[in-house]
Amino acid sequence: MNAALRIALGVIAAIGGFVDIGDLVFNAQAGSLVGTPALWAVPVGVVGIIVFAEMSGRIVAVSRKPNFVLVRERYGRTLSTFTLVASLVLTVLTLSAELAGLGFVLNYFFDVSVGFFVLVAVLGVAAAIYLLPFGAIERLFGYLGLALLVYIAASIKLDPDWGAIGRGFVPEAHGAAVYWYFIVGLIAAALMPYEIYLYSSGAVEEGWDERDMAVNRANAFVGFGLGGLISVGILVASAQVFKPAGISPTTVGSVALIAEQPYAEVGLVLALVGILFAVGGATIDTAFSAAYNLAQHQGWRWGKRFRLLNEPRFTLSLVGFLLAGFAIAQTGVDPVELTEYAVIFSIPVLPLTYLPILLVGNDARVMGDHVNGPLARAMGWAYFALICILAVAAPVLFVWTNGGG
Amino acid sequence: MRRRLALAVVVAIATSLAGCGGAITRDELARSIGTLESTAAEGAFLADDVADDRTKATFVRVHARDLSDVVEHEAEKLRDAQADRPGVAEAKSHAVALADRIGTALGRVQIAPGSERVGRSAGGQLGSLSEQAGKLADGL
Repeated sequence: MNAALRIALGVIAAIGGFVDIGDLVFNAQAGSLVGTPALWAVPVGVVGIIVFAEMSGRIVAVSRKPNFVLVRERYGRTLSTFTLVASLVLTVLTLSAELAGLGFVLNYFFDVSVGFFVLVAVLGVAAAIYLLPFGAIERLFGYLGLALLVYIAASIKLDPDWGAIGRGFVPEAHGAAVYWYFIVGLIAAALMPYEIYLYSSGAVEEGWDERDMAVNRANAFVGFGLGGLISVGILVASAQVFKPAGISPTTVGSVALIAEQPYAEVGLVLALVGILFAVGGATIDTAFSAAYNLAQHQGWRWGKRFRLLNEPRFTLSLVGFLLAGFAIAQTGVDPVELTEYAVIFSIPVLPLTYLPILLVGNDARVMGDHVNGPLARAMGWAYFALICILAVAAPVLFVWTNGGG
Repeated sequence: MRRRLALAVVVAIATSLAGCGGAITRDELARSIGTLESTAAEGAFLADDVADDRTKATFVRVHARDLSDVVEHEAEKLRDAQADRPGVAEAKSHAVALADRIGTALGRVQIAPGSERVGRSAGGQLGSLSEQAGKLADGL
């Protein structure tokens, strides 16, 4: 039981990253428009995030330095400030989309108005942040978000073509730009920068040290593995339900409707509960990530492990980011479109986020016995090269395919 | 290299923006009709679940309204678009009529999310409208 509770950080970071409001719809669209041939992109992204999350957790365990402290130390003032501003813009945009998404999901239960439930959502998230310890927040949103495993059960119950699913995990040459748009988007969604910001800062919050290497590995492998599994479940179920009917899902309600097909109202409610907590987890991820990054870049004292009222700058920035997200969400912006733009345009920030982790992980003077071995080093550089390719390809494919449409 | 990439992105954006306004092309009309086909098919799923009493009324009401908004938005775009070529103009008029009928059927589901009878009739109608939209898009 204790071991299960200790992987909550990886679970919430992965749930918030893989199945936030935009990714839920993006995965369903990939299933309905491309189908199972898009599956191979998911493990490619999952392995990438596991490599970097494990590395960043190991760095924290050895040096107590989270991601943005590395950014500040490894880059000059100008580049680190650019990385901070770019990451804050993208994180706050995503935060606002998640808040709007929570408004939509709550409205499916009670039908009052999205705007009203966005207000309820921001108050609920603020109360959870203020009242609950960091570990309880992780467990509440991370584990209840696992209700989304209903999509795995749904895709099995819908009697899939297992041969096609198996072939889907083998990359294939394909000429269609839309196919590559979804491949790039699925890989990028797994590597969203705020997952790493939360993961490395969360490791500091939990006080990891060199005795926690196994906990770090379990969080990285199991947490992100579960996120990837849910992603696969949504994609496969959508390919079975929507693709034959020619449906291209555009709202989070469409994603919930998939689970209703095999399991009726129970499936629908499980899907909506899972979406509610996964999107709530993504809201927490993004709010904390933005405040962590700013505080770490500025050298402020930060963290939920201290009393929030004793850290006015960190607390005010957390409140400020929540209010900024709330203000954007209240404009009536479409959360799905907003996160899709955020995913695609976050990709240029990815190399700047991941490079310092790789450099420090490879540095024996900092890491001592825990320096990257040959495999971690090779995979780190291979994924860094892939991230650089994605950074170039993503905006071009986005424009070329009219956002996959 | 970076300047060339930026230039390519700017040119691509400018090209896509240049497509806004003016007469609607066959591709744009086909995309629009495709949205109608997809929305009607999804509405049919929703209505069928109402017919079989296997869903939740508040979800049905809200989701039918969301789908109705998508159709209304598409109908507005189609009404505002100019269609100069004879084949395109006819298809556009037909698409607007289909959008109106899809919106009406979704409205019935939204108003009576617990009625199995309404769900059955709207489900059949939406399925048929989706097929008609598909044929219309294929004919372009």
